Amino acid sequence: MAVELSFSKEIENIMYASHGKPIKDCLQCGTCSGSCPAVEFMDNSPREIIGLISADFKKEVLASNTYWTCASCYHCSVRCPAGIDIADMMYALKRYSMWKGEFQEGLIGPEFSESFVKMIVNSGRSFEPLLAATYLPKFSARDIVQEGLMATGLVLSGKMPLLPKKVKRLKNLQRMVRRIIPIGETK
Amino acid sequence: MSEKIGVYVCHCGTNIAGIVDVADVSQWAGEKLAANGVVISRDYKFMCSSLGQELIQKDIQEQGLTRVVVAACSPHLHEKTFRNACQGADLNPYLCELVSIREQDSWVHTDKVAATEKAKAILSGGVARVEHHEALEPLRVPIHPDTLVVGGGIAGIQAALEIADAGFHVYLVEREPSIGGHMAQFDKTFPTLDCSACILTPKMVDVGNHPNITLLTWSEVQKVDGYIGNFVATIKQKARYVKIEDCTGCGICWEKCPKKVVDEVFEAGLGNRKVIYTPFPQAVPKYPVIDAPNCTYFLKGTCKACEKFCPTGAIDFNQQDEEITVQVGNIILATGYDLFDVRRMPQYGYGRLANVYTSLEFERLGNAAGPTGGNIVLRDGKTVPKAVGIVHCVGSRDQNYNPYCSAICCMQSLKFAHLVHERTGAEVYNFYIDMRTPSKGYEEFYQRLLEEGTHFVRGKVAEVTNLARIPEEEGKLIVQVEDTLIGKQRRIPLDMVILSAGIQARHDAKEVGKLFGISCSADAWYIERHPKLDPVATMTDGIYIAGCAQGPKDIPASVAQGAAAAARVLGKIQQKEISLEPVRATVIEEHCSGCRICNDLCPFSAILYLEDKKVSEINPALCQGCGTCVAACPAGAISGTGFSNEQILSQIEGLLLLNIRQLEAVPA
Repeated sequence: MAVELSFSKEIENIMYASHGKPIKDCLQCGTCSGSCPAVEFMDNSPREIIGLISADFKKEVLASNTYWTCASCYHCSVRCPAGIDIADMMYALKRYSMWKGEFQEGLIGPEFSESFVKMIVNSGRSFEPLLAATYLPKFSARDIVQEGLMATGLVLSGKMPLLPKKVKRLKNLQRMVRRIIPIGETK
Repeated sequence: MSEKIGVYVCHCGTNIAGIVDVADVSQWAGEKLAANGVVISRDYKFMCSSLGQELIQKDIQEQGLTRVVVAACSPHLHEKTFRNACQGADLNPYLCELVSIREQDSWVHTDKVAATEKAKAILSGGVARVEHHEALEPLRVPIHPDTLVVGGGIAGIQAALEIADAGFHVYLVEREPSIGGHMAQFDKTFPTLDCSACILTPKMVDVGNHPNITLLTWSEVQKVDGYIGNFVATIKQKARYVKIEDCTGCGICWEKCPKKVVDEVFEAGLGNRKVIYTPFPQAVPKYPVIDAPNCTYFLKGTCKACEKFCPTGAIDFNQQDEEITVQVGNIILATGYDLFDVRRMPQYGYGRLANVYTSLEFERLGNAAGPTGGNIVLRDGKTVPKAVGIVHCVGSRDQNYNPYCSAICCMQSLKFAHLVHERTGAEVYNFYIDMRTPSKGYEEFYQRLLEEGTHFVRGKVAEVTNLARIPEEEGKLIVQVEDTLIGKQRRIPLDMVILSAGIQARHDAKEVGKLFGISCSADAWYIERHPKLDPVATMTDGIYIAGCAQGPKDIPASVAQGAAAAARVLGKIQQKEISLEPVRATVIEEHCSGCRICNDLCPFSAILYLEDKKVSEINPALCQGCGTCVAACPAGAISGTGFSNEQILSQIEGLLLLNIRQLEAVPA
């Protein structure tokens, strides 16, 4: 019999293997949000996101840009007096959001994540020229020009290869990845 | 079977009867354990009630019971009750056994059938054991009427005065040159804003003048031997280099001393003192000490300015450390606390940013007798701050540092806010997580601060920095914090930041605890005998704790604990004699090989090695009957009274219901 899990329980389960303490240990002190260098671009501060999760406000959390804005500097995780790995929670929320296919419209994060994961599963390696080409056109023409200029520079200075490389025994990697994340079949 | 055993099964209301079928257990014992000597078996709603106890007493007298087994709660709770009941009916109290079918059965199980079976097994074990019990007499030892109080802060002062006023002698040992402790460093006390020195110094003077108090300052306890009623403490009196019988405390020596050093202890590093010094003007005793490691004479062999100018010739550079031993009956430890080292939180910038202060530094800054004469100014010594931030919970309520609440910081921070406001007119920001003001008059003080216009920002400060992002922040300290009540990150430019550092156990609390034979919690606070019902006693008889050594607390609570510990000691002194549990280990000399394995294992240092006989001997007054040595002895030469091998093995056999199974295995 399937048990309907609350949203907070689902997030707790996703974070079960996380190094930190469960988010229900949060005392709402605001150290995370006070330390966050990206908080001014976030719809909700990290502390508020924890509050929303605890209160099972799933819709509001999935509609928030907070975890897509996180710069993964880990200041919050290092300083949290309750020992919660908040940066890891941001990743958990990204995974959950992708899994459910629900996220704020117009964000670059979900598109990028999807392209990135597909590329890794398909070739075993990240290849920037192709990666940028898969998601950038949807956003801004100016960015494409800027990225293109930078890529040219990198290629000329020998920091970026022109042709993509693949790993050996790619099938094994793909089998492994499928065991870990529910990505379904990819071509 | 020569013994007549009575079995009593308690319902404890529904505590036991809710899970265990008490009537069934009682009936089963009456039938199945009859072969083991059970002549009567009853169940009763509350065995510990006076009616329950009378039931046992009546049976002892009428049925001639020689052993009693009560199946009820843990011996911690009611062993004494039932032993006393037996004694009341002229049965030796040690012939009564209490087995736990509540803590070890009904409270921890949900399966009623299995719990009932378990209760039967536990009871059977008790019955099998009690058969081997012996009648024991408690040990009587005299109580020495003198008391040792360690630590001369407000808790130790209060304890010493209470005992001395009651007419008994006290040795008060203090590590620093003067008593007074942390309270002597404060300017005002919350919430009444009494002048700290004004209320403390009369008590200090009382201690100094009291005929019943021997004050041993600049001294430390080195060694403690003995047991309740008969402790022998070895105390090291560090050399003062001042003959106290000649010194008048006139102060000429410290006026003339040419060398100044930073006073890291009393002035918290904010001020200087001379090398010959008393920590503060109202010091008790008034005699100064010479800080030998910094003294020019001890370093270079010349100077002696103090000796030249001393009008009574009291300086003696040849003084040596002395060891004295005192005999006492009881000991009170009031060793206080250390301030949390705020350098452990580099994000708050202490030591790097000049105008970030610790709470203790601010106490000295605001003190009329302090380095600035009570003027609240920045480190440059003249600028009056226009905006001051006070950070709560520094190092407290934080899994990375101290997980507990330090209890005093909220009120201390409110006091600071008031003093800053009153003396400088500056804008004051208090950064708090939760405001904790749970004592008499404390919430009213918080209300007063709200009315004074203090800015309260709910949020733990993320960092203190001097890196400006906008012109208004140039040259300021910026506190970056989320104001959680509006959900916005704020950067507040300030001139001064005070870190309300938490309090933690003394750095040497664990070693001191070991010296006195008491244990520490994970945070190194001394552990009380019971957290609610026995907060000043310890698991070691005759050793009491008071004040912050037991856990964070404020001045009223420290004074109350000092007085409470004194009351406990006075109670013991008035008994003149004390009876100790006869549950003790004894060495069978013929079996002892003298290997000494037990000597070092004994947590109470109760085992002595007799050089002449080449065997170990256990001091019965010191032994607490823990059984460590009994288990460790490779020759099985140590026996625990009340816990003999025979008793333990019988109890195990009883628990396994071996006796009954054997009976049932025999075909009828």
